[in-house]
Amino acid sequence: MRNYHGIIFAYQTTPELRELVSARSGASLPFCGRYRLIDFPLSSLRNAGILDCGVIMQRNYQSLLDHLSSGKAWDMSRAGDGGLRMLPPFGLPEYHTGNYVGTIEALNAVSTYIRDISQKHVVLMFGSMVANIDLDAAIRKHEAGDADITAICGTETPMGQHHRFVVGPDGYVRRIDLYRRNDGEGLPGLEAFIIHKDTLLQLMDRCSAMNLYAFHKDALNLFLSAGGKMDVYVHHGYANAIRTVEEFYRANKDMLDPALRRQVFPVERPVRTKIHEYVSTYYSEGAVARNCLIADNCRIEGELEDCIVFSGARIAKGAKLKGCIVMRGCIAGENSQLSYVIADKDTAFSAGTVLAGNEKLPLVVPKGTKI
Amino acid sequence: MKKSCIAMLLAGGQGSRLYALTQSVAKPSVPFGGKYRIIDFPLSNCANSGIDTVGVLTQYKPLQLNSYIGIGQSWDLDVSDGGVYILPPYLGAGEKGSWFTGTANAIYQNLAFIENYDPETVLILSGDHIYKMDYADMLREHKEKGAALTIAVQEVTMEEATRMGILNPGADGYVEQFEEKPKHPKSNLASMGIYIFDWKKLRDYLIADENDPNSSKDFGKNIIPSMLAAGEKIWPYRFSGYWRDVGTITSLWDANMDLLSNADINLYDDAWPIASRSPVCPPHYVGESAKVVHSIVTEGCEIDGYVDNSVLSPNVVVAEGAEVAFSVLMPGAVVEKGAVVKYAIVGENTVVEAGARVGTDPDGSENWAVATCGPNIRIRKNATVPAGAMIYTGEEV
Repeated sequence: MRNYHGIIFAYQTTPELRELVSARSGASLPFCGRYRLIDFPLSSLRNAGILDCGVIMQRNYQSLLDHLSSGKAWDMSRAGDGGLRMLPPFGLPEYHTGNYVGTIEALNAVSTYIRDISQKHVVLMFGSMVANIDLDAAIRKHEAGDADITAICGTETPMGQHHRFVVGPDGYVRRIDLYRRNDGEGLPGLEAFIIHKDTLLQLMDRCSAMNLYAFHKDALNLFLSAGGKMDVYVHHGYANAIRTVEEFYRANKDMLDPALRRQVFPVERPVRTKIHEYVSTYYSEGAVARNCLIADNCRIEGELEDCIVFSGARIAKGAKLKGCIVMRGCIAGENSQLSYVIADKDTAFSAGTVLAGNEKLPLVVPKGTKI
Repeated sequence: MKKSCIAMLLAGGQGSRLYALTQSVAKPSVPFGGKYRIIDFPLSNCANSGIDTVGVLTQYKPLQLNSYIGIGQSWDLDVSDGGVYILPPYLGAGEKGSWFTGTANAIYQNLAFIENYDPETVLILSGDHIYKMDYADMLREHKEKGAALTIAVQEVTMEEATRMGILNPGADGYVEQFEEKPKHPKSNLASMGIYIFDWKKLRDYLIADENDPNSSKDFGKNIIPSMLAAGEKIWPYRFSGYWRDVGTITSLWDANMDLLSNADINLYDDAWPIASRSPVCPPHYVGESAKVVHSIVTEGCEIDGYVDNSVLSPNVVVAEGAEVAFSVLMPGAVVEKGAVVKYAIVGENTVVEAGARVGTDPDGSENWAVATCGPNIRIRKNATVPAGAMIYTGEEV
């Protein structure tokens, strides 16, 4: 058993995901035909042999609970006290109102859980990060050095806002450039850290005493200014956090690229998820699909181009879809024409419906809409 | 632990008429229909019928079957007071053990397992049939008719009847006679090899049969005839749904193709799911130059070529310019650039290299048949595997 314990942050409210998060949290957002975003941190932990993990959630977490279930899909349904633990708000009076203002407040809300963690080290991860991180390699690097914290960073500047970790000549992090959107000095952080449990608890205490709640801005800067040693592990491969509709759409479309897809779904580190489907997809006579990712249990009779199609979708005869993301159980009726549409779960487009978004501004059709 | 009915699944057969496909695995673990292995059908039928205790009798090359079944979680059979039990032959203390010498002997050797559950009835199933059946309905009829044995039967044509085990009912509907492959069949009720026995009766007949040195220890040849001779009540349970024995290359290929036509088997039925132990892979990808028509495609596939009238299992690759028609591609099969696969079954992880050809369209001749490649074979560049060929693992082509 590894001396590491995972904590996944799935509490964040991400208003720029608009209708996509009206009935779910960002971490339970469907992705790439069959996954949910939280599958990535969970699988990264599982593939490194870390089977004990807490998921901090605060709002709209019904779909997340459904998805996580007992944790069995990630082998986190364990005998005894270990395995997957859901951490919704504990209901302490001081946390009754408002959203967690920062990661430190979210951690404080579950501080008893963290204090009870039996492992020495904690791996903190963001629940809405599409990245297949080799945590085993990251842990080996962390253990080989003498840093108290290892920040996991990427190489490519991601789509959205991020923090950059600037490494000094001694190999340790010298400073963190906060809230960047473009290329710059240092490496973009992937909001994943390996940290000694005691170090984490100390940082939580010190921040709380000063009414500080931001993890990067406050906690990590306090740590660095006190002379703390922070190492960096570089993840080579795809990494993008999903916080806006545009990021969601682009990241899905990125998976149509075979090279990027292989970075996210390498054979040696499978992305695990809850299994829904027991039946393959059927293509009828006259079906057309070009450059598409299509999950199981679909029925394709129409034309698809540059689409991501989740399980259970029905694309009727004469329907033409271009650049669409079609979630679980959607129906595109006969001769319907959809372009650049994100059709959320169980949406139905009746025969002949014409609907168009734009590649830069895809049209979101909320869950369960019948047109 | 008392159970009113438990199932015993005969999965030890070699399946010798599947040749290369069962060279290293038992017949029940042969892939079928994209996501499944043959054994998924009886296991799912059990789970859907509310039978949660299943003994799986293995003997021939059981490794893959054992690891596939695991603890039965995929079929919701991992329950605390029942579950799936793999039952291999074993040696008892101080006595000579032996392989299962027949279907009846396989059950006889596991009397102790069945006694554990003290059941009223035992359901005997075989692991090589594709069908969806509610055993609870059969069980209800078994009780209503007060039968010692109920045998599921299908109505077949008189011509087909000459190749099957036929049950001849009397005026009261109970079976009077059992004939194996009769030249002049008296009825068209063919046994499906699915039996519900009154356990106490079966127990007595198994013990008597075991002590008969001339018996071949087989349900069809020995147990059923003895029960008929003794005047036991045997009831034929008529089943009219889809049912196929997939014990031969042709029948296996046919049953796969049935999934493409509007045959009577609907796998898209939420009320009677056939579950399988699926690998988790990304959705399948169809590229810019791909064309897929009238076919079944499963997750993990990467298709850049032409696929027509075919069944593709998980992780199959069809490269650009390759053509796959009227074929069954098992998990991980690869068809490289410009290769052509027609009327063929390609085994797990077999690679058809660039420019190679496997199988041909039917040419009307009598010797034409589906071509078969076993698992883990490399069909070399530009090589030809003719129609009807059978390529075994380890062979060079």
